[in-house]
Amino acid sequence: MLQRGPSSLHKRPRQWITLVLLICLTLLTTSSAAPRKNTKKKLPPLNLPPLKTQEQKMQLLGYIRQNMPTLRQGSRVSFSSQDLDKALALELGDTISQAAPLIDDETFIRRASLDLTGTLPSAEKIKTFVADQNSNKRSDYIDELLETEAYARKWARYWTSVIFYESEANKRRVNPEALEDWLAEQFRKGAPWDYITVMLISATPERNKKKKNDYGQDYGPNNFVLACENKSTELASETARIFMGISIQCAECHDHPFDNWKRIQFHELAAFFHPYTYKMPSQEDPTVSTVVKPRFLLGEKPYENMKSDARRVSIAAYLAYNPQNYWFARAYVNRIWSELIGDGFYDVDSLGPDGDVVHKPIVNRIAANFRYKDFDPKWVFRLIMNSQVYQREMRTMDSPSELFTAIRPSRLRPDVVANSVSHVIGENPQLRKEIDTVFDVNPSLPQSTLEGSIQQALLLMNQRELQQALSQSELKQKLLGITSNEELVQSLYLNVLARNPTPDELQRNVSYLQSSEKRDEAVEDLLWVLVNCTEFRTKR
Amino acid sequence: MQSDALLHLNLNRRGQFTRRNFLQAAALGVAGSPLLSQIQLNAAEMKKQGRACILLWLAGAPSQLETWDPKPGSPNGGETKKIQTQTPGIEIAHYWPKIASVMNDVALIRSMTGKEAAHERGTYHLHTGHRMLGIEKFPHFGSVVARELGDPNSDIPNFVSIGQTLSSGFLGVQVAPFIIDRPGQLPDNVTSDASAARQRRRLALLSQQERDFAQAGAEALVQEQSKLYQKASLMMTSPRLKAFEFDGESEDMQTAYGKNQLGQGLLVARRLVEAGVPFVEVRSNGWDMHSSIFRNMERRAADVDQGLSQLLTDLKSRGLLEKTLVLCMGEFGRTPKINARPPAPGRDHWVRNFNLLMAGAGIKGGQAIGKTDENGQEITDNPVQVEDLFQSMCKAMGINADMELHTPIGRPVRLVDGGAVIKGLFG
Repeated sequence: MLQRGPSSLHKRPRQWITLVLLICLTLLTTSSAAPRKNTKKKLPPLNLPPLKTQEQKMQLLGYIRQNMPTLRQGSRVSFSSQDLDKALALELGDTISQAAPLIDDETFIRRASLDLTGTLPSAEKIKTFVADQNSNKRSDYIDELLETEAYARKWARYWTSVIFYESEANKRRVNPEALEDWLAEQFRKGAPWDYITVMLISATPERNKKKKNDYGQDYGPNNFVLACENKSTELASETARIFMGISIQCAECHDHPFDNWKRIQFHELAAFFHPYTYKMPSQEDPTVSTVVKPRFLLGEKPYENMKSDARRVSIAAYLAYNPQNYWFARAYVNRIWSELIGDGFYDVDSLGPDGDVVHKPIVNRIAANFRYKDFDPKWVFRLIMNSQVYQREMRTMDSPSELFTAIRPSRLRPDVVANSVSHVIGENPQLRKEIDTVFDVNPSLPQSTLEGSIQQALLLMNQRELQQALSQSELKQKLLGITSNEELVQSLYLNVLARNPTPDELQRNVSYLQSSEKRDEAVEDLLWVLVNCTEFRTKR
Repeated sequence: MQSDALLHLNLNRRGQFTRRNFLQAAALGVAGSPLLSQIQLNAAEMKKQGRACILLWLAGAPSQLETWDPKPGSPNGGETKKIQTQTPGIEIAHYWPKIASVMNDVALIRSMTGKEAAHERGTYHLHTGHRMLGIEKFPHFGSVVARELGDPNSDIPNFVSIGQTLSSGFLGVQVAPFIIDRPGQLPDNVTSDASAARQRRRLALLSQQERDFAQAGAEALVQEQSKLYQKASLMMTSPRLKAFEFDGESEDMQTAYGKNQLGQGLLVARRLVEAGVPFVEVRSNGWDMHSSIFRNMERRAADVDQGLSQLLTDLKSRGLLEKTLVLCMGEFGRTPKINARPPAPGRDHWVRNFNLLMAGAGIKGGQAIGKTDENGQEITDNPVQVEDLFQSMCKAMGINADMELHTPIGRPVRLVDGGAVIKGLFG
């Protein structure tokens, strides 16, 4: 954990104070407008504390964190869900009058459960929740879900997928499960997002030649670096993409066509991650290359004679603790917002010019407050989910001006589809694997651009084990035991779609049961229909 | 959805009527007859009308110097030797003896020049004809072909990919690639234990359930899903599903294509084209040869050499080559200069000049277009841009390259932006 109280580093002040000062000074004095000069003067080597192990690195980063001015001023600032709603209403202007109505308790409990834990609430839970008279029950339920193991697991899966989805790393050299487990542990204990990030960025996996295929991948945080194949260019573009929401990888080869990022900036960022001297290949002739010194995107330069490990520490510090790097906090906020609301303020990892951000004041305010709240991931969930923005009915939206006046019905992630299926039929590892493959989708793409496939339809329609399980499931037996058709249909809807049927649905399903010769088959048909309907795999 | 209107606009100016007739006939009763007669029926129609395309994608970017433009004896030539081909005057790398023997049907483009030297971006450029800029997701060329030449009511997908590939971008799910991994087997989950009557009952109930959800605010998702369920249901009862298997295909034929993933994939591609699928992609992995290029090339090329030459021979003998465009390419080329990577040298990414192979669909065989200098560093004759290639692909398929497509926000974009048909490519 990051040191928040007096750290052991205090015992060796002279060793670390130089570095901290240097880093802090650069953070405070440089900006993107800073003139670019290369100091000719050779600096003496830094007398740094040892930064070989992850603990040593984290101690120093913890000290830098403590000294960030924003964290100190943050304790006095508050920004509530009501503040968010007011600010957004102001921003939306007249459009707010067309906003969708707020959802009922049934819809809320399903939506919140799917979002926070990726699982459906049980029929009993729905009943008690709806019956509960407490006016704080939605807020309390959010708090309750944030403390579950399922919350930690769902979001660990999400971020592991973000990191690994497009990774081309050799499968034997990475261990996505180790990363997922580590992330789950962090989310469970409420680790701050900056801590999680600096752990990933500053990790330096080393190969153990004594053991076959041991690249340090069993230690969770190493897998961010290994997913990037420990390549400086890959680490640079993935760091910018995932932790800043900026797409700069095209700048590897050329100046960005419509953005501020220049080719040289990309390579300066990459130089941080290079163990030795970084060289940028010439655009004209690949045999020619020039030495490039590390420099962060906002202009910060590390102390020149730093070793590789210290450079990783410094880039982690520039990323998370430079108050001017508002991209860092905003990238997290925008991702969570996109997942919860269905649309982001911008496409999560491909921000072009800052001008493309819709309702920028809102996302910037949430991001600033996220920083004041010690980068607490749960604070962001609480803020958004307790707001009216989150608690509105769904609607299909086509124009950017309508954004955030309703929730976009969102496709559930593959693991959530698999959870929903096992909610109905019980756990089946083989089927879970197949669903994970067939429903797999890049978690960094906006919901509005995602597509289903014929294969997905075929799987839910016909997959043999699923069909067998549907016909033999406990749920089906339970339903068959109910003599009243109305009650049967109510229980069916509550168990599969986590809501009561509408009068139409009730009547339709009851008459199907009545007109069927074989009750057993009819119940199975109704189960099949609900598992195959769009709602089953959608967040409404 | 807006894209739906687009899908039906411009559809199938060629061949739709007759092909539909064929399908109706199949649905009405020919369905039970053996595949062979259907294939013959369809093959006859293909000859009359239908154009198709088989794209063999060499993922990772094959080296031009180890394929169709070897430079033995030069400092950049490496261990690769030249061999004569069936066409006097055209020499290719020694890894490709069987392609050499069908050169009279093949046109090589030796002077491709691109702009994207990263895999993902190059893959996008060479699959869509557009560079990856901005937020527009351009469709895979296969999706364009599926839209223009495919039957929207087809009972099997109009675009099949054996191995992963790009999506249909803004053209939507109607023309998205149907991806299979195991050539020679039925796609997963296409059979159901439920009786047809029961299946119909279920689907009827499902569509009522869907209507309620659409009204609750999820119209777009429901519309898309309904289309997918229609297609999936149609596919389950399609007599043409047999094209995915080797039913009725002789052991000799399977062997001739090569008993490996790639060879069997190409055989399935031919069967699908015969069954009326207008676009099939077959993917071959492992062409990113940064190290040990000469040893790796020896291994990789053998399967492709056998499968691809057999495909060309087979299509020709069935009279299908004149209507079927065959393309074999990767995302870019490789550095002429050999690197010093351990354990053995290889070649890195290079986009300034590379090459590819085309055949069929009116393309004049027995020629090599464009030249590079003796070191393979520079193009010395007739540089061909990616846009020129796409103009030529459109011409081969009988698709208007200048047509406008509409992005989801209604922005019109040209199918191919600029470029010209490669000079001399068509006879």
